[in-house]
Amino acid sequence: MTASEPYGPRDLRDLRDERVPVTVLTGFLGSGKTTLLNRILTENHGLRIAVIENEFGEVGIDDALVLDAEEEIFEMNNGCICCTVRGDLIRILGALMRRREKFDHILIETTGLADPAPVAQTFFMDDEIASQLRLDAIVTLVDAAHVLQHLDEVKPEGVENEAVEQIAFADRVVLNKTDLADDDTVIEVVRRIRGINAGVRIVPARHAAIDLEEVLDVGAFDLERVLADDPAFLTETEHQHDTTVTSVGIELTGELDEDRLNAWLGHLLRTKGVDLFRSKGILAIAGAPRQYVFQGVHMLLDGSFGRDWREDEVRRNRLVFIGRDLDREALERGFADCLATAGAAA
Amino acid sequence: MSTAVQSPLAWDISVDDAPVALGARGDLVAVAGAEGTVKVLDAALGAEIGAFDLPGGALKVTLSPDAGHVVATGPMGYALWRRTDGRTTVRESGAWSAAAAWSDAERVAVASGRRALVLDTDGGELWRTEPAASTVTDLAWMRQGRRLAVAAYGAVRCHERHTEKPVATYPYVGSHLALAVAPTGRWICSGNQDASIHIWRARDGGELTMSGYPEKVSRLTFDDSGFWLAADGAPDVTVWDFSGKGPEGTAPRSLRCHETVTALAWRPGAGGHLASGGDDGTVALWHATAGRAQARLRPVRELDGTGAAVAALGWAGPHLLAVAWRDGRIRTYGVPSRTSL
Repeated sequence: MTASEPYGPRDLRDLRDERVPVTVLTGFLGSGKTTLLNRILTENHGLRIAVIENEFGEVGIDDALVLDAEEEIFEMNNGCICCTVRGDLIRILGALMRRREKFDHILIETTGLADPAPVAQTFFMDDEIASQLRLDAIVTLVDAAHVLQHLDEVKPEGVENEAVEQIAFADRVVLNKTDLADDDTVIEVVRRIRGINAGVRIVPARHAAIDLEEVLDVGAFDLERVLADDPAFLTETEHQHDTTVTSVGIELTGELDEDRLNAWLGHLLRTKGVDLFRSKGILAIAGAPRQYVFQGVHMLLDGSFGRDWREDEVRRNRLVFIGRDLDREALERGFADCLATAGAAA
Repeated sequence: MSTAVQSPLAWDISVDDAPVALGARGDLVAVAGAEGTVKVLDAALGAEIGAFDLPGGALKVTLSPDAGHVVATGPMGYALWRRTDGRTTVRESGAWSAAAAWSDAERVAVASGRRALVLDTDGGELWRTEPAASTVTDLAWMRQGRRLAVAAYGAVRCHERHTEKPVATYPYVGSHLALAVAPTGRWICSGNQDASIHIWRARDGGELTMSGYPEKVSRLTFDDSGFWLAADGAPDVTVWDFSGKGPEGTAPRSLRCHETVTALAWRPGAGGHLASGGDDGTVALWHATAGRAQARLRPVRELDGTGAAVAALGWAGPHLLAVAWRDGRIRTYGVPSRTSL
């Protein structure tokens, strides 16, 4: 919140973002989260990092600040049925930020079976946290040798496959233990990951040895950078028959009618929000000199105007949805109807 | 020098550990820092009477009604300090202790993970509640210390002494962050993560929700009369009228001074005098019950801070207001007149 706009959206352009970045590490037990955490804590990067771990006592670094947490998932009374937050994180992050010694970075290690949605939603739903911390990226570790069996596991009706969910939410996938899987398996794993989350950057690794820049300060939730570093964002996926969680990328030239866009997006999130894990986009709104950038988790959406459109730049809209049972045709049609020229063309 | 006469600065000191909580009772002021350093100070002079550490950091500090003991609670446990000899009992339970509440000079309830523990002044456990649905967020005593109200996710649960199971449950889906029970015993109120205040009539559980706050409500407090409830959750402090049939259908008074409210404390007595602190470091003093419902009030006076956010406020009796700022500055101000600020 700013003094001039007590209830307005934060305009990230006007201030250098001094909020502390938070990385969320997800991945099944045995995928190498702890190995990666220990690497991050011991490597000489000059950052003061605080760790919140949900799987107890695994990090063995003496002078690191490591806090244990037990997952507490809270439903919110805000009319959005899928909206849950992590009460334990609100509590712990709130206390951390009151310390005089400030941290450069916070890492949250989730349990192997954790749903990333409540973690991400916490950063949308709690103003105190959103004003001091920014969700930098969700990094999902995948065990190349074993992930296929987790992805193929058939769950009872209504229960989400956590491995699928964690890949769907990921901004980075660290494909770990590639030395323990044969080439065909690795190729198949990459194909399956792309089938769920088409644009995600996949970083292959052995013993979780990766360039830390790949996972720290990614800026995946920074609206300014949503698509900037992600050329593969709209990679067309081959049709997947073995999974119901997929990505739909849409690219469309032209300017959008703001009212129709709001109505369409609002209706989409209200009715399909449960199935929409992530959504993000950069849009050209008719009459607006700046790009409209948005990012959403289930029913929650955060959007603001980003950089100016350049004079000679083609007004092009790009957006992507990652979710369950997505109807590509309906999404493309609905979005095309938001074009300012759509009415005239019909 | 009318300002100096109205609010003489009694003392002004600085501590190293960023203050997060302040308690004041009788002739003592206790300040707890984020890293767990607790200072017990003479309210009149600011001199250090005692000090102790709570490993793992502190969240709250609470003095017994006779100012004979101080309990500090934090993310890793709690600690009890005895004034007579400075003896400190530290319990590193590993469980999150969000709050403590004294029922009288002899017994204190301490939140410990999902339970509340009731301790004697040596830290000995007298009884404990069964686990709540989540980590306990706040505690309050009712019926002159015979009933303990415990707030956690999904409900406020009331326990009679030495009963693990609640004798009354006040359910409401949501994360209850702060608990206030009217001194009249008539109302139980919780401040919520979902940006509302939820209210139960203690007698029959009749419910009311005050929604529409822009942010979560994490501070709410009744004045001594039990007729007035002050809350954060918005740039304006809201003050609700709980006299008569309660606040249903009424609008609150709005107290406009801060952008973000970080501390609230009613002056002891029934004069409707309130102190509030903001993240810009300003402390405001209010005739918070003046005017009519829906009135938008301005502070009677503002005390300038150091620029750092106000961490906590407390009254050591009606005539001394203690303020701690996040940068470690602690000051007390004299408020000599009983009827004005």
